Amino acid sequence: MSLRDIYEKYHDQVQFIIIYIREAHPIDGWWLGGGLFGLLLKIKGTKAIKDIYDPKTIDDRKQVASRCASELDYGIPTLVDDIDDPANRAYAATPTRMFLVGIDGRVVYAGGLGPWGFKPQELKNAIEKMLNKHS
Amino acid sequence: MYKAYKARKEVKKWRDQYVPLAPKVGDVAPDFELHDISGSKAIRLSDYRDKQPVALIFGSYT
Repeated sequence: MSLRDIYEKYHDQVQFIIIYIREAHPIDGWWLGGGLFGLLLKIKGTKAIKDIYDPKTIDDRKQVASRCASELDYGIPTLVDDIDDPANRAYAATPTRMFLVGIDGRVVYAGGLGPWGFKPQELKNAIEKMLNKHS
Repeated sequence: MYKAYKARKEVKKWRDQYVPLAPKVGDVAPDFELHDISGSKAIRLSDYRDKQPVALIFGSYT
């Protein structure tokens, strides 16, 4: 089940929020566009690998976040982390990570770090378990 | 390539510093106040307390 499927199934009961954080693999950072791996990504058509620099100002970051939200088209509200990365640091979220926060403000599910630990199915299971507990 | 190698080392250092401090199941989720893409609307995580559970999905374009 994809993240989009999970959002469509549970968005009436759970508030979903995407938080756009520091770029994981920008051209001017830990870029994956070089070598054989980069060639494979280019063949696959991953446009982001080709032309995204790490935003240096909050306005630049909003611009890239906007492009990301528009191209990925999840339909989930997107917030933008401040340029000094407060949310990213608080949740140790780079490159990707998911959390589920209960109605009492406590963490119900803390996902692993992406890409290998980013598992939408685990989030879905946690949501179902939480909702069943409260029904 | 050297730039990517250096950036990778910095990411590892960053992870070593912050990953042990990340909230775990049962912890109070750290509050934040962030703006939406347009910058016109500020949202706090605590706005949802006692109202609705929240799924937080962190990520970037690359």
